[in-house]
Amino acid sequence: MNSAIRNRLLLILFIFSLGVYALLPSIRYALMDDNDISNLSEEQLNYFETKSIKQGLDLKGGIYIVLEVDLPQLVDNLAKNKDKKFNEFLEKLRNDYNDSTLDFFTLFEDEAEKREIKLPRYFISYGKTKEQIISELSLQSDDSIKRVIEIIQNRVDQFGVSEPTIQKQGNNRVIVELAGIKDPERARDLLQSTALLELMIVKNIESTTSLIRQIDNVAKGSIEDNEEGIDELFSEQESSQNLSFSSKLISVGGDLAVSSDELLSLKEIIGQDEVKQILEATNSLILTSNSSINLINDFGEEEEFYRLYHLFDNAELTGGVIEDAQMRLSQSGVTAGQAVVQVEMNSEGSREWARITGANINNRIAIVLDRKVHMAPVIRSQIFGGGTVIEGLDSIEEAEDIAIVLRAGALPVPVNIAEERTVGASLGADSVSQGTLSMIIGLFLVVIFLVIFYRLSGLIASFSVMWTLILLLGVLALLEATLTLPGIAGLILTVGMSVDANVIIFERIKEELRNGKSVRSAIDSGYERAITTIVDANLTTGIAAAVLYQYGSGPIKGFATVLFWGIVVSMFTAIIVTRFIFDFTTSSRNIEKLSI
Amino acid sequence: MKFMENTKINFMAFKSFGFAFSSVLAIGSIIVLLTGVNLGIDFKGGTAVGVSFSEEISIQEVRTSLKSVSVDNKVYDLSSEEIKYFGDKNDVMIKIKSLDNEPENFGQIVINHLYDSLKEKAPADKNEFILSLGSVSPKVGSELSGKALWSVISALVLILFYISVRFEFKFALGAILALVHDVVITLGVFSLTGYEITLSTVAAFLTIVGYSLNDTIVILDRIRENMKSSGTVMFESTINKSINQSLSRTLITSLTTLLVIMVLLLYGGEVIQPFSFTMLVGVIIGTYSSIYIASALLAYIYQTSK
Repeated sequence: MNSAIRNRLLLILFIFSLGVYALLPSIRYALMDDNDISNLSEEQLNYFETKSIKQGLDLKGGIYIVLEVDLPQLVDNLAKNKDKKFNEFLEKLRNDYNDSTLDFFTLFEDEAEKREIKLPRYFISYGKTKEQIISELSLQSDDSIKRVIEIIQNRVDQFGVSEPTIQKQGNNRVIVELAGIKDPERARDLLQSTALLELMIVKNIESTTSLIRQIDNVAKGSIEDNEEGIDELFSEQESSQNLSFSSKLISVGGDLAVSSDELLSLKEIIGQDEVKQILEATNSLILTSNSSINLINDFGEEEEFYRLYHLFDNAELTGGVIEDAQMRLSQSGVTAGQAVVQVEMNSEGSREWARITGANINNRIAIVLDRKVHMAPVIRSQIFGGGTVIEGLDSIEEAEDIAIVLRAGALPVPVNIAEERTVGASLGADSVSQGTLSMIIGLFLVVIFLVIFYRLSGLIASFSVMWTLILLLGVLALLEATLTLPGIAGLILTVGMSVDANVIIFERIKEELRNGKSVRSAIDSGYERAITTIVDANLTTGIAAAVLYQYGSGPIKGFATVLFWGIVVSMFTAIIVTRFIFDFTTSSRNIEKLSI
Repeated sequence: MKFMENTKINFMAFKSFGFAFSSVLAIGSIIVLLTGVNLGIDFKGGTAVGVSFSEEISIQEVRTSLKSVSVDNKVYDLSSEEIKYFGDKNDVMIKIKSLDNEPENFGQIVINHLYDSLKEKAPADKNEFILSLGSVSPKVGSELSGKALWSVISALVLILFYISVRFEFKFALGAILALVHDVVITLGVFSLTGYEITLSTVAAFLTIVGYSLNDTIVILDRIRENMKSSGTVMFESTINKSINQSLSRTLITSLTTLLVIMVLLLYGGEVIQPFSFTMLVGVIIGTYSSIYIASALLAYIYQTSK
């Protein structure tokens, strides 16, 4: 063996072993059954999960969610002295923003100018000029997206998902990928709930009665005004809208309640400008309970009701003071055996809590989570030590999830789901097994085909195609890439191109042989001529792959990654590996006929 | 094995016929595309849910159930949305257009509604009921379409540039036209069969672009090589010679690829089927277009420039 051939052999062996080494964790992990996996230590599991090729959500099942920070809501939260003009402005802005691909603050500025909105009037604490305010607001939005990401990271970590991916997209979006999730509904709620915990004092009966009277006065009037203008679409609701605010309410054990059928029209009344003004003037807030109660109505039918609470609109304490929250089963009282969340506050919160409870003995305090009242117990005595309990939860899972979101903290601004892709585990598993099976059958047929056409050389080509796949998977493992359905498309195209490269070479060699050249020189000139073709074809496709990687989103990017590396690897196997085998076999012996 | 060696087929004799044939196919495809591309929710926005019943269910049953879906005391009639089987008759896929003021988590609401109203046919574990859920807001939809379009166009422009540098601008023109031809016709056939275009099928179309490009370059490369010895005199015969010389390679590669795709189409499963189908059509069209679009166009260009 001469030294040139030996060096090439060493290079090829080195690259082959690198590929196999990179693939080893994937193979070992794939061969393990559930039992083996559960026996792994956390460290080992972590090793296998990062070092082996990951399956995308479309193959493995799981949930992919793009959360979008509700920027209009953020601006609404930051604004002061809001009036009708401002609300209309924001409403228009919200609709425009949903239909447009423009940046939110560009739209904000344009719309404010068009409507001659005096921004300093509403945002005086953020600056005196329009420019100052807009730049300050966009800083606030950057800051809130950062906090949203942190908090979601916290929640996901505590939820216990293997290899979650959380990343920022653009200015106001977060991509969350949770593989292998069994219960997408629960995961979605966990991500999306704002988890704002507020402790608010319930107002007494006298002020509630007077509030209802005031609302009845204005709400009635406004409905009559509206009546002519009501769209025909809403005619079904007219009957209930005609009734006054108070007529929708019933009394349930000292609390007010509203039937679930009336909930929507009740909220509409509360949403009227005049009613809003009254609420604002009296520092009042009306919220409903999180869960409903079933009562028998006058007609003897079971009806669903929600309790209604009249609260002071400023929270005495918020979730920020929470140090720890745990699910536990209640030991005593009427709730014994039910899941509750035990909340512990930090020292500052404990002091405040002691002061609030001390000052409000015999008043009721509402525990409000995401603007829903969970419970409103009467404060019997001052509470020291900063502990409280949240009751009224449907299940252990719900209690666990609330504990998680309380520990992780509240989102500074609500988030909406802009895009979601959930794939059930069974569908994913089907795709994988069917995909793998057909890949194996396909490859087997390719080998047969190549051997029929090119005999021994066909075997060499099959060998190179096989190594193309192994090396490509090895590269993907090294890159810690995720294999998705479009990625498999890329794999197939790579196999196709790798077969093609071999076919091009062999056809050239055959041509040279037909022209009467010797085996040795036919191989040399065959390769030489084929290489230009192969390089041109592969480079052009490689350019396409690189561009797609640069500009493409999600699935297209996955496809481009596989294709790009597939091209690199298949050029290596077709040009260097097969060439080496031909050179090696023809250099030692004097072969007169090539099996091609 | 000797396969298609030393053929002397006069491909260019049929080039007018090829152009006519391609034009008919391309115009037909464009008409199909204009009358209605079945764009998936990825590009249009909306919600798609896939559910798996434990026994066979009729589409009508699902449609009836979807007649009134109530959310927060508002009732939605979804019975006119697209409902179809997915794989066997146990699994159903429902595609819902995006609504104004759509309630939050609408897809989940629809799944819950179906699960509750058709409980006797649904599996006991609700998580086995959910096959897939996708929702894309119209805003994201238009962003995704923009991105997909932009990436394909910029890839085409760069390829045009590369081929112009490596070969000649005339070659690049033929290659790009062949690519556009392939994608348009495959899109047309694809739309005719009622499959919908999603981000994954875009990947399949890109695969066709890659394949067709590879095929075209191989032939153009041969033409360039033969031009060195014979120049542009008797250009049609040079092209014929080049196509014939690479014919066995063209056929062997196409047949091998088609073999793999046929296997995928037959055994690959429901999810991958639109993809395999696209590839099947694309490979056939791509092989054809290398000869009758990319090469034939060269012949025309040299004929008129003489």
